[in-house]
Amino acid sequence: MTDKAIIKRLFYQHYGEMTRLARMLLYSDDEAEDVVQDIFLRLMEAGTLPDKGKARAYLLSAVRNGCVNRIRRKSLTERVKNLYPIEAETELQDWERRMEMAEAVSDFAESHLTEPQLTIFRLRFEEGLKLREIAQKMDMNIKTVFKHLSQTIKYIRQQKF
Amino acid sequence: METNNNITRLLEMLENPEAYSEQEISDIINSDDDTREAYRMMVAARQGYHSRNKKGGDVDKAWRRIERSHLKVSFFHSPIRKMAAAIAALLVVSAIAFAAFSIARLKQAPPATQNPTTITNNTARTNNQKADVNQPDTARSRTATTEPIVFDNIPLEQMLTEIAAHYGADVEFSNDEARQLRFHFVWHREKGLDKVVDDLNHFESVDVALQGQHITVE
Repeated sequence: MTDKAIIKRLFYQHYGEMTRLARMLLYSDDEAEDVVQDIFLRLMEAGTLPDKGKARAYLLSAVRNGCVNRIRRKSLTERVKNLYPIEAETELQDWERRMEMAEAVSDFAESHLTEPQLTIFRLRFEEGLKLREIAQKMDMNIKTVFKHLSQTIKYIRQQKF
Repeated sequence: METNNNITRLLEMLENPEAYSEQEISDIINSDDDTREAYRMMVAARQGYHSRNKKGGDVDKAWRRIERSHLKVSFFHSPIRKMAAAIAALLVVSAIAFAAFSIARLKQAPPATQNPTTITNNTARTNNQKADVNQPDTARSRTATTEPIVFDNIPLEQMLTEIAAHYGADVEFSNDEARQLRFHFVWHREKGLDKVVDDLNHFESVDVALQGQHITVE
């Protein structure tokens, strides 16, 4: 099998998991695609292959590094605006544990929150809307939205997340 | 109580971070452990929802995109490219010399009638003849005049590649089927690239966009 054929096989094998990790860290389909594409382009240009049996770990680490680099290039204001980790380098060191925690938080919210807290939580963290946009969308007073979200955050934090 | 106030300040800041300096943002997030952890939890919630989204992209399309990018990169780093650059430089020097010689002769010759150059898609022609479209002696002479060029039943990809090269632009097809669309199109090279793109958009079956020096075919 040629190097290109091996790279193609690796791509088809790991593309789904790689884009999912990149999407989880960057919140953007397009940026996630770009990170994965860059990794495979570099492999093709360098003509080097990851060690047999370590390909998955190598590729997922490359995704994590690519995402951290992109987040680092953003200003602190941009990072908090999009709710990126403020110290991506250290906070995403152990990305597998991070991924588990992230899924645990959203799973907990989906299974324990009631309305209207659940919809507010989804709109804020899934859609990335500002509170005033949520208030407009739900036809609520912004102070009410603020109060609900504040209570929800305290409630989830009490679960040791 | 202090922590409650800090989390309230955190939510207020996140609503409009542009109104705060980077130092103020950092101070608010790091007010105390609880506030810092509350921010981390919010980041985790955002990540968690994006991780729940299991939709996979089109893997075949993604692979084709990588192959295309790789081809471009390979070309720009290959020895063939260096050779091509040397040949191009030689052609430019020759063209300048030829142009200088032609100008001198034209000053003495009577004006000739300008006829449009027609590029047709004659399926019967041989490969050698086919080269007329891309690298002909007529192409060199076309660049030296302003006569219109008529593309007659030529695939859009071939047509746009030649047009783009003339303006120093590049072309991207986001729709592969569009590559093989064939048109009868009269190209007036004295027009700007934006006007030529407008003219192409008169064809219903094609949607061409121009951004800077980048042409995209939808």
